[in-house]
Amino acid sequence: MADGKPNLTGLWQAMGTADWDIEDHSAQAGPFFQLGAIGAIPPGQGIVEGGEIPYKPAALEQKKKNFANRFKDDPEVKCYMPGVPRAAYLPYPFQIIQSPKDILFAYEYATTNRLINMGKPLEAATDTWMGTSNGHWEKDTLVVDVTGFNGNAWFDRAGDFASDSLHVVERYSLIDANTMNYEATIEDPATFTRPWKINVILYRHREKDARLLEFKCVEFTEQLLYGDLVRKSNSENPGK
Amino acid sequence: MNQRTFLWMSALGVVMAMAPISSVVGQTASQTSAKSGKSSADPKTPWGDPDIQGTWTSDDTWGVPFERPKQFGNRATLTEDELKERAKNIEHNEEFVESGGANHSPAKAQIDAKEKGEAPPPPPQGRFGRGVDAAPVPGHWGEFARRASHQSSQIVDPPDGRLPPLTPEAQAKLDAKMKLRRDPLPASWANWSIYDRCISRGVAGSILPVIYGNGLEIVQTPGYVAIRYEMVHDVRIIPTDGRPHLNSNIRSYMGDAVGRWEGKTLVVETTNLLPDRLSIGANGDGGAPYSEDMKITERFTRVSPNTINYELIVDDPKTYTAPWKVAFPITQEPGYKLFEYACHEGNMAMHNMLSAARAEEKKKAGGDAGQK
Repeated sequence: MADGKPNLTGLWQAMGTADWDIEDHSAQAGPFFQLGAIGAIPPGQGIVEGGEIPYKPAALEQKKKNFANRFKDDPEVKCYMPGVPRAAYLPYPFQIIQSPKDILFAYEYATTNRLINMGKPLEAATDTWMGTSNGHWEKDTLVVDVTGFNGNAWFDRAGDFASDSLHVVERYSLIDANTMNYEATIEDPATFTRPWKINVILYRHREKDARLLEFKCVEFTEQLLYGDLVRKSNSENPGK
Repeated sequence: MNQRTFLWMSALGVVMAMAPISSVVGQTASQTSAKSGKSSADPKTPWGDPDIQGTWTSDDTWGVPFERPKQFGNRATLTEDELKERAKNIEHNEEFVESGGANHSPAKAQIDAKEKGEAPPPPPQGRFGRGVDAAPVPGHWGEFARRASHQSSQIVDPPDGRLPPLTPEAQAKLDAKMKLRRDPLPASWANWSIYDRCISRGVAGSILPVIYGNGLEIVQTPGYVAIRYEMVHDVRIIPTDGRPHLNSNIRSYMGDAVGRWEGKTLVVETTNLLPDRLSIGANGDGGAPYSEDMKITERFTRVSPNTINYELIVDDPKTYTAPWKVAFPITQEPGYKLFEYACHEGNMAMHNMLSAARAEEKKKAGGDAGQK
């Protein structure tokens, strides 16, 4: 960029299966046998530094409950916003628009987006799904400090979670022009015994004319969320 | 949403903002720019594009009718007396906002009267008169114009400021939609607008001023302009590098936008829109649902440090018998910020409205059975 900063503008996406489970996990059957191999859960190596999330005992119990109910309670099932850091390794691309002023992150999933304030840091005005993001450059690394979470987002489809005292520090650093290291430090004294880190590699989409498309998933959840409230005579064909 | 300060009331601020408003109707961008001066209105990005970045709001067009009331005929601007009347309404709105709303709400008036043992005042009509609008909600929920717009309507073309006639097909779609919307016992979510369902307000609905959430943020980088809207957290990534539209098999609520710079004006053309869902009107639901042939052309021209003249040209021969145009200024305001609008995540209303409709049906069925 003209200002000497690395150019992060582009369409990025993580590979791998972190969204299924950020910890190491084996291949498993999915919830719907009708989908066969398409519905199965692929194996994956975790992205948590040191392998395990340092839950406090009560939080670990909650995580286990979440896991047991994951296909019902995961906010992703309901097309709710993914929160941070999950937005970075969802199985959908996201677009960075890097202005010399602020930096926009637009995620394909659920049209979620957030603006990274690169000016004087702003205090979170209220708790939100995506938090309040203040960024700065440390040499060639974009560091984003995120606070003001509402505690409703999960980290993955396996029920890993944090509370509304979550504090995430993200570090985006280019490895080369088309590959970026993503590191996030997770701190939440209500849930974890100590701060911990995740590491993911993000890849730039290099297909000709690759673009961020629209995945507004709300309409794919309405039958699930409100189906029992549809007039019975109409439930077969409730409309678009 | 709105953290309002009234610093803008400084005479300078009002004059700077008024100039472009009075000149927006019926003039081309170049005429407007010549009129409002050059230097400060023409900031450039480091790579040489016009710089239109920042947080903007369409609040100042709040209260301007979308279609021009017939008595105005072809008159696009208000008389001085009409303008004074509009300014008075804005003053009232400011008072409402500053007081936190509660002291002015019809609900509060009803409660006060009851406490004093007096006859309750008649419920007022219009805004704050009905339903949830009558509740003593915090005033900062609502957004209002800060200055009185001179425009007699948001539609500036055709010259009478009114929508061109619908095609018979579009009229039929509008009738079918209104039947769904007016059903007192809605069968499913499909009775409600795409906005009520927290999906989208579309390209036009995302910027036309409504009761709150009229803000948008523009971010630029070489080859792209991005627009982020507060309400329903919609976002558009607009390439300005001359690439063509996506294949028409890829359709979406916000469509496929490609942009180009014409002098200091950003021109954005949007196609590939999903048909028969959204409309060009308030919250994307006012008017007839548009077709797969809809082409929306927008023009963003910065005419002063705090003002962009915005134009939206609607072209869909399957829906409207002629193209038409909306124009109004969007402004930068001190303290105005966007917040996360988690619409679907908090959409208890959909659940409640549907369960209420089913409960009503059950009650009705029980009542009928009892009469037999």
